[in-house]
Amino acid sequence: MEKIYTMGIDIGSTASKCIILKDGKDIISKSLIEVGAGTTGPTRAIKAVLDECNLSKEDMSYILATGYGRNSIDWIDSEMSELSCHAKAAYFLFPNVRTVIDIGGQDAKVLCISDKGMLTNFAMNDKCAAGTGRFLDVMARVLEVKLDDLESLSAESTKVVNISSTCTVFAESEVISQLASNSNICDIVRGIHKSVAGRVAGLAKRVGIEDDIVMTGGVAKNKGVVIALEEELGKKIYVSPLAHYAGALGAAIFAYQKSQK
Amino acid sequence: MSRIDELLSEFGEIVISPRKQLDKYLSQGKKAIGCFPYYVPEEIVYAADMVPFGIWGQTGGTINAAKEYFAAFYCTIAQLNLEMGLKGTLDGLSGVIASPMCDTLRPFTQNFRVACPQFPFVFLAHPQNRRPGYGVDFTMAQYTNVKDKLEEIGGKPISDESLKNAIKVYNDSRASRRNFVKLAAKHPELVNATQRSAILKSAYFTLKSEHTVLLNELNALLEKAPVVEWKGIKIVTSGIVLDSPSLLEIITKNNMAIVADDVAHESRAIRIDAPENEENPMKALALQFAAQDYDTLLYDPEINKRPGYIVDKVKESGAQGVVIMMMQFCDPEEMEFPSLKKGLEEAGIPYVKIGIDQQMTDFGQARTSLQAFSDMLSMQK
Amino acid sequence: MLENEKVPAKLKLRAVADQVYKNAWDAKKRGELVGWSSSKFPAEIAETLGLAVCYPENQAAAISAKHGGQRMCEHAEAMGYDNDICGYARINLAYAAGHEAEEKPMPQPDFVLCCNNICNCMTKWYENIARIRNIPLIMIDVPYNNTVEVDDHHVAYIRGQFDDAIKQLEKISGRTWDEKKFEQVCANSNRTAKAWLKVCSYCQYKPSPFSGFDLFNHMAVVVTARCKVEAAEAFEALAQELEQNLKDGKSTWKYAETHRIMFEGIPCWPQLQALFKPLKEKGINTTAVVYAPAFGFVYNNMDEMMKAYCKAPNSVCLETGVEWREGICRENKVDGILVHYNRSCKPWSGYMPEMQRRFRKDLDVPVVGFDGDQADPRNFSEAQYNTRVEGLFEVMEEYTARKGGDHNE
Repeated sequence: MEKIYTMGIDIGSTASKCIILKDGKDIISKSLIEVGAGTTGPTRAIKAVLDECNLSKEDMSYILATGYGRNSIDWIDSEMSELSCHAKAAYFLFPNVRTVIDIGGQDAKVLCISDKGMLTNFAMNDKCAAGTGRFLDVMARVLEVKLDDLESLSAESTKVVNISSTCTVFAESEVISQLASNSNICDIVRGIHKSVAGRVAGLAKRVGIEDDIVMTGGVAKNKGVVIALEEELGKKIYVSPLAHYAGALGAAIFAYQKSQK
Repeated sequence: MSRIDELLSEFGEIVISPRKQLDKYLSQGKKAIGCFPYYVPEEIVYAADMVPFGIWGQTGGTINAAKEYFAAFYCTIAQLNLEMGLKGTLDGLSGVIASPMCDTLRPFTQNFRVACPQFPFVFLAHPQNRRPGYGVDFTMAQYTNVKDKLEEIGGKPISDESLKNAIKVYNDSRASRRNFVKLAAKHPELVNATQRSAILKSAYFTLKSEHTVLLNELNALLEKAPVVEWKGIKIVTSGIVLDSPSLLEIITKNNMAIVADDVAHESRAIRIDAPENEENPMKALALQFAAQDYDTLLYDPEINKRPGYIVDKVKESGAQGVVIMMMQFCDPEEMEFPSLKKGLEEAGIPYVKIGIDQQMTDFGQARTSLQAFSDMLSMQK
Repeated sequence: MLENEKVPAKLKLRAVADQVYKNAWDAKKRGELVGWSSSKFPAEIAETLGLAVCYPENQAAAISAKHGGQRMCEHAEAMGYDNDICGYARINLAYAAGHEAEEKPMPQPDFVLCCNNICNCMTKWYENIARIRNIPLIMIDVPYNNTVEVDDHHVAYIRGQFDDAIKQLEKISGRTWDEKKFEQVCANSNRTAKAWLKVCSYCQYKPSPFSGFDLFNHMAVVVTARCKVEAAEAFEALAQELEQNLKDGKSTWKYAETHRIMFEGIPCWPQLQALFKPLKEKGINTTAVVYAPAFGFVYNNMDEMMKAYCKAPNSVCLETGVEWREGICRENKVDGILVHYNRSCKPWSGYMPEMQRRFRKDLDVPVVGFDGDQADPRNFSEAQYNTRVEGLFEVMEEYTARKGGDHNE
């Protein structure tokens, strides 16, 4: 039987991700480049995902883009909002999902999914960077640690150091004060995670949360944030190893559905 | 180009450059008065033989000089009004009328008055307990104050007759605009969101008598146009101002038609006419204000009418959902959101809330939200 | 008599404030109606009808001072109230919706009394309470005034609403208005206001016989109990203590009084200690706060009473606001001003940049601002505050040196 290959491209603000799907259900290739819209990231990600499975653009039945930079490529077949794509991917990975929380580089989103996997309601963060990946970037820089190290640092924490400011700039100065008073860096990181979780939990509660809750997006890789969010919401949160690829995956699934029409 | 397109184009030209309109009137020897939000009785300005200019901030403007008067957490409409006053954008106006109807406008009236003394300043405080006799009396007293100041600025008295005439002109204009809102809803294929906005916004920079002539012509053409089924989504918009070209374009690009609105700058401002059978025209205007309702800016003596009013609006207009354009830092809109949310949810009406301000240049988030909302509604059809 | 004299005035004041809540709880237990009121609604009305009333603003201040502010704000935000909205409103709406606040419990209301002289937010805040609890709302609308004088139209409009409010409240409570009782209540209210102003007037002395920050605490009584004789008596007792302090050269300000400042704005209740710390360390006493003249409701007849209710910090024009502040700055001999840019209060913070300029020009003293919030602890940065206070101190030192003056001890 003829195999149908579809490609999903997610051009985010801070990273470019691609997924190639076979017959709308098997992930045969994926790629991630740590730069996003407006850079060489998208092109490199597309080349990488094709190289990995030895296919070409022409082998694709349908190519769909999502993410902040989705309108920047003119040879794709169509584009969809990352809200719809994340919802699609979450449902694909966790069929019992009803709430999706996506913390990306510049956004935080909460999506409500029906039992059929349809997006029924959503909310996005308002006004500022607090509660997004950007907040974690700033704090990692202040602490002079790598973003990837935040998870293991907070795992070593023995008590929470509260970072109370919602304003990123104020929070930065709070962290500096804590460092200056010799608070344990692990405890500070835990406080930072708690701060992000608090903001996002607030957004989630406004929209209404229902089990099962799934987290997608790049920040989901940080278990420290996931744990903090579980504590804030008092509920279990499911995270797939493919969390960072949710946008691209959803795009590839939509691409498959469109190729069948 | 069809006559409809010609007319749409003419309205579009007006909103691109309010300055051109102002210069046009000034060259005709007329004086113009800036009317800041909300509920300024333009009729009195018109009766004084001056041109009212409705000034609701500046979409795409940048706040600089106004920072000397306001910290960051204030509505951009007010800040940009002050900015324009300071930068010279409003030069040519012979005066301004300002109301302290919200907590940003209270200090705004003071800041503008002292920062821009070159504009004769007319202060207008509406009563919130506007319906009882003592409320109507207070409105009349405030409007009389406005009238006195305008007589000073205009250099001649304002007769009852000219006030009555102004009321008639304005009632006609409001009726014409209300009719247009209904007709535009019937013909989104002819009038898109951008064009719809231009028609309503242009009324703020045109003598109403002139605007009505053009609009009546357009309405008659729309009335005659054959009905075409709209394959896209129908929405009701809600908020303070929605005149951003980018946002309107995104709405259109997502196949959304605005079939009714709860926008302060648009339908909220034209809902109520002044009674023409009232002998005393100042009283007629006061009674007009007394009848205003369903506005986040106004006290609701029945406490919770607005959600039901908007739900009815959605049902009557055949809309599938509500797009709430939440002006950042707008206390009244924010305070009324939970009740609106509850009313819409209880009625099973989908909605999306999008944060906006007039300085925005990146509409990425709005684009994503509107696209997702449109997708959602399409799948529910 | 002797018993009474032994009790320090501040404990008397605390007892008066506590009694307000106790009265409300007792009324509830007796099956009587209890109201919530905005801080500057004419308290004389409910008092005359013998109705117990509590003050959400006071409760919110207490809750946030006891560090429950964030929790309540988050509940309100989950209900859909934006975090941009006044912290007092968010805390109170969460409470009205049933979220508990052990920090300062208050009986739920059977009616609400709203006067928006202090801000427009009041209008929608109280409408929301009425919706959530499904109870009647009595509204006395005081339009913002652009002139120094309060004109007859304002007076007539407010009088009309005042009379209507009485009728409405009679209907709601089933009680009858007693004109004689009203006269007595007004007399109490005036007496309390005068006693309050007398207390505040002790700030004029150099050195001051008390710490200006005390006023932030005592203020609760003039907000919640000004129609009670006990309030007047407590303030009079405090005035006597201050008089005694003056004679004895004592003060409740236990530090050097190197500088005297006006603290502009509502304090940051969740961070009172943090606010106080650098001030006491540097010997900076607060000897002027706008709350002093703001609650001086003194009137001799109904017209004057209506005019008095038109005078709240956020309902008077810029010039009047500046005059109040410059008046107390001069009388109370301040050499610096610290302005709280309160994230929760748009009307108040909206005048401050222009007022700051006028203070500098008219009073020739340094003026410094800092960012904070009256109730939401997340909008304050201790590091920023300390830096600003240090800066203010350094400039005040410079001014003192420049003027060739000596530090006051």
